[in-house]
Amino acid sequence: MANFKLRKAEPKDVPDILRLIKELAKYEEMEDQVVLTEKDLLEDGFGDHPFYHCIVAEVPVEHQKVKGCSVIGFAMYYFTYDPWIGKLLYLEDFYVMQEYRGYGIGSEILKLLSDTAVKTRCSSMHFIVAESNKASIEFYKKRGASDLSLEEGWRLFRIDKDYLLKMSAEE
Amino acid sequence: MANFILRKAEPKDVSEILRLIKELAKFEEMEEQVILTEKELLEDGFGEHPFYHCIIAEVPQGEQSVEGYTVIGFAMYYFTYDPWIGKLLYLEDFYVMKEFRGYGIGSEILKLLSETAVKTRCSSMHFIVAEWNKSSIEFYKRRGASDLSLEEGWRLFEISKGSLLKMSTKQK
Repeated sequence: MANFKLRKAEPKDVPDILRLIKELAKYEEMEDQVVLTEKDLLEDGFGDHPFYHCIVAEVPVEHQKVKGCSVIGFAMYYFTYDPWIGKLLYLEDFYVMQEYRGYGIGSEILKLLSDTAVKTRCSSMHFIVAESNKASIEFYKKRGASDLSLEEGWRLFRIDKDYLLKMSAEE
Repeated sequence: MANFILRKAEPKDVSEILRLIKELAKFEEMEEQVILTEKELLEDGFGEHPFYHCIIAEVPQGEQSVEGYTVIGFAMYYFTYDPWIGKLLYLEDFYVMKEFRGYGIGSEILKLLSETAVKTRCSSMHFIVAEWNKSSIEFYKRRGASDLSLEEGWRLFEISKGSLLKMSTKQK
């Protein structure tokens, strides 16, 4: 049974956060897509106006299964706004190192996120899941998640920087 | 030809923002789902930590709408964070009153949003569109938008308050 604790991330956690972001990206076979740096994470998360918040899961040094890693899981979230109901909590990344799964750490993180959402008067929590990720879809559905893409037919779109530049330069 | 300006929303615009939110919801046949109040819009948008930002499209007094409105369009956006690339601009609502369409107001709003995104060092702009809204999908695709749901198979999920409360009060 893993002895762990959950806490708010601090500036010193930035290297571990980046490591875990890369591990999760590797699992999605997208590791080379991570261009974010520790400097970006530090400025963006711990400056005047944080653009994201993190919860980290930590084990005591003596319980490390992977040498040098006591931060073994994290959740990155931020607040979004629904024009019909107001504030929402948006769960962006959520990952526990493989060696530490099966101990309920993920469930505890989700519980803390739920507490946070309720305390900050958010109406719900939103997140996206790849349709191929059946295990995650089940994990969330067990906890009451509904697939809005299925129910309401929403499609996520993106306009990339070069098109933004093109539009902003247009006469 | 509509004579209009675009500007950042101010606290005084909150009732107009709510009106336009409701008009857009009506278009989506969801008007009764809008439970947000002017008080919340004021606190959430103009407090110490704004949870959203708005651009307003306004016409002069002499060119107001049939019902007498000068605020005739808006875009609501906020910043999100992609763990691989950093800051993104997320376009949440975008609406121009019917009688003011066809004058390029929507394009100008999108242009201003693009400038904002670039200035604030955002890597891209994200937004969701209902799959049945073909004209909006075309509007965005013409400007370089790609359908991530199609290309990458992302599905948007929701855990609503009832389930959040259930989870947050569950004993270990």
